[in-house]
Amino acid sequence: MTSDVKLLDLSNVAIGIERRKRETLVLVREANFDVNYGEMVGIVGESGSGKTMVCRAIIGTLERRGASVIGGEVLFEGLDLRTINEAKWKTLRGKVIGYVPQSALAGPNPVLTIEKQLAEALSQVEGTGSMKNRSKELLDLVKIRRVDTVMKQYPYQLSGGMRQRVMIACALASKPKLLIADEPTTGLDVTVQSQIMELLREIRRDLGTAIILISHDLALVDEVCDKIVVMHAGATVEIGPTASMAKPRHPYTIALNSSRIDVAKPGGELLTIKGNPPSVGQWNPGCRFAERCDYKEQDCLVGDHPALSGKKGEHQSACLHTDKIGKI
Amino acid sequence: MSKRDILMEVENVSVTFDSGSSVVEAVKKCSLTVHAGEPIGIVGESGSGKSTLARVMAGLQTPSAGEIRFRGDNVFKGNKSFQSGNRNEVQMVFQDPYGSLNPQLNGLSAVAEAVRIHTKVGKDEAEHKALELLDRMGIGKLDALKQPRQLSGGQRQRVSVARALSANPTVLLADEPTSAIDQSAQAQLLKLFLGLLNDGLAIVLVSHDLGVIRYLTKRVYVMKDGVFVESGDTETVFNDPQEEYTKMLLASIPGELGKAARAKLKR
Ligand SMILES: Nc1ncnc2c1ncn2[C@@H]1O[C@H](COP(=O)(O)OP(=O)(O)O)[C@@H](O)[C@H]1O
Ligand SMILES: Nc1ncnc2c1ncn2[C@@H]1O[C@H](COP(=O)(O)OP(=O)(O)O)[C@@H](O)[C@H]1O
Ligand code: SF4
Ligand SMILES: [Mg+2]
Ligand SMILES: [Mg+2]
Repeated sequence: MTSDVKLLDLSNVAIGIERRKRETLVLVREANFDVNYGEMVGIVGESGSGKTMVCRAIIGTLERRGASVIGGEVLFEGLDLRTINEAKWKTLRGKVIGYVPQSALAGPNPVLTIEKQLAEALSQVEGTGSMKNRSKELLDLVKIRRVDTVMKQYPYQLSGGMRQRVMIACALASKPKLLIADEPTTGLDVTVQSQIMELLREIRRDLGTAIILISHDLALVDEVCDKIVVMHAGATVEIGPTASMAKPRHPYTIALNSSRIDVAKPGGELLTIKGNPPSVGQWNPGCRFAERCDYKEQDCLVGDHPALSGKKGEHQSACLHTDKIGKI
Repeated sequence: MSKRDILMEVENVSVTFDSGSSVVEAVKKCSLTVHAGEPIGIVGESGSGKSTLARVMAGLQTPSAGEIRFRGDNVFKGNKSFQSGNRNEVQMVFQDPYGSLNPQLNGLSAVAEAVRIHTKVGKDEAEHKALELLDRMGIGKLDALKQPRQLSGGQRQRVSVARALSANPTVLLADEPTSAIDQSAQAQLLKLFLGLLNDGLAIVLVSHDLGVIRYLTKRVYVMKDGVFVESGDTETVFNDPQEEYTKMLLASIPGELGKAARAKLKR
C-alpha cells in the first residue's frame, strides 16, 4: 500500500433514488471526505442529512433500496466502487469493509444463538482452529465476559450494550480494514455508550482498523475521532482534524457547537440552530444552509452549493463568507 | 408564587411487580419533594426504576407501599388516582412521542383535542389556544398541520409537550424526553424547558444522562436498582459525587463534562 493512496476517498458523491416517471430524487449531492489507513473518522449531522445513505454507498447496498450513486467518485484503496460488479462487491462487503448498521440493536437474527450468529459470520472467511474457538476469540475481542454462557444465549436475553458488542464482533470476523458503525449507541444509556466508545478505540489501537463513526452528537465524536466530517442536507459542509475543528468555520458547525450541553453553563444560553434542514426534493439553489444562516448574503442564494475551500486533508469549509465569520 | 410552595410529596414509595414467576422490586422506599417552579432530576441507568417512579407520580401506577401527596391530598385512594381533581396539574411526556401521539392526527388537532378535554372550550377557541401552545414550542402553523410521521423526532416531542401544556399543569414529568432525538433538537427542547421553568412550571426530568440533568435541574436524585443512592443540590452532586455509581454516571457523559471524571476513573 502506497502512502498516497487513501483507504477510502469520496469526492462530490451524489446519491439519488428513482421515483415515478424516471424522475430522480437527489438525497446526497456533495459528500466529500477521505479515510486514511487506521484512522478514526466521525461523521456528524442532523437526522436526514444523508449519513446512512453515504454508508450504503460505501458498502454497496444502495441498490437494494432502489437508490444509487449518481455522481462523483467513491474510491476504496484506489478502486472505483462505481465500476465493480456484484461478484467483486461480495469480496469487499462484510469482508474488507465491516458494517454495523444503524438499527443493529434489532439486528441480530432473533432465532439464532450468539454462537450460531458468530459462526455464520466466520463461515464467510478463512481461519484456523475450531469454529467454537474462533467465536470465543471474537467475543473476547469485544470484551464480552462469561463467554461460554453468552454463546448459548439468544439476542433477546442480552442487554442492548451486549447485543451491540455481538454485532461489532460479527463485523470484525473478517478482520476488515474499515469498520463502519452507524449510530452504534443511539438508544443506549450513556454509561453503555461510553463503554462502546472505549471498545471502538481499542479495536482501532489493537487491530489498526480504520473506523467511520456516525453520530448526531458532536461531543461524542470530538473525543474519539481523529477527523470530523460535518454533513448538512446531503453535503459535507466542513471537514478537518479534530483539534482544528474545535474552532469551527462553517456557520452550521458553529451553531451545532453552540448547542452542546457539555460546554454550556447550567441553565445558561444554548444557541440553537434555527428552523429545520430542507427536505429532500425541496432544495433551493445556492447554499442549502442559507435559510437557517445568520451570515447569508444575496450571493448565497444562487448557483451551486458552495464547494469546500482549501486543500484536501486540511481543515476545509463550504461557505462563501468564511472571512466574515467570527467577526459578527 | 414562593419557591418553597410544596406541590408533591413522595414518601417511602415502593413498587413491586409480581408476575407469578418472578417478583421485581422496581422502586424501593423512595422519597422526594417537588416544590412549585422547581427543576428536579432523576438519573440512573436503564432498569433502575426511573420510569416506574415517574408513572407513580403521574398517578398512572399504583404504589405497593408508601404515600404520594399532591397539595397535601393523597393522590391514590385505592387504585384510583387524583380523585380531588388535581389530575390536570400533573402532566407527563414520554421518551417516544410516537407512542403517545395518534398517528392519524396532525399536531394542531392533537393539541386542540387536549385543550378541549381540559378546558371545555369551543372548537375555534381550542384551535386558537392549540396554535398558541404549538407556537410557543417552536412549531409554526405549517408544521402544525403535519401528521406525526411527517415531523422530525424533535418536532414530535415538542408537539407532545404542547399537548401536555394544554392542561395548564404545575408539574411536568418528562421521562427521557431527549433520548430519542438528535443533538440540536435536544438543545431546542432543553431551551424550551428553561422557558417553562421561568414561567413557574415545576419540571421533573428523568434521564440516564447526567449531563442533561445538570443543565436543567437544581436538585438531583441518583437512582440505582430502585433506590435513591445519592441526592442533593445538582451542582454539588456533580462536583463532588459521593457514590461510585454517581462517579460512573459522571464519567459517562459524552464530551467535555465527563472527560475529567473519565480520566480519574481510569487511574
Ligand atoms: N427510500 C427513500 N425515499 C425517499 N427518501 C429517502 C429514502 N430513504 C432515505 N430518504 C431520505 O434521504 C435523506 C437521507 O437519509 P439518511 O441517510 O438516512 O439520513 P441520516 O442517516 O443522516 O439520518 C433523508 O432526508 C431521508 O428522508
Ligand atoms: N409492568 C412491569 N411489569 C414487570 N416488571 C416491570 C414493569 N415495568 C417495569 N418493570 C421492571 O422494573 C424495573 C425498573 O424499570 P423502569 O422503571 O422502566 O426503569 P428505567 O425507567 O429506569 O429504565 C426493571 O427491572 C423493569 O424490568
Ligand atoms: S454560504 Fe452563505 S448561507 Fe451558506 S453557510 Fe456560508 S454564509 Fe451561510
Ligand atoms: Mg442514519
Ligand atoms: Mg425508563
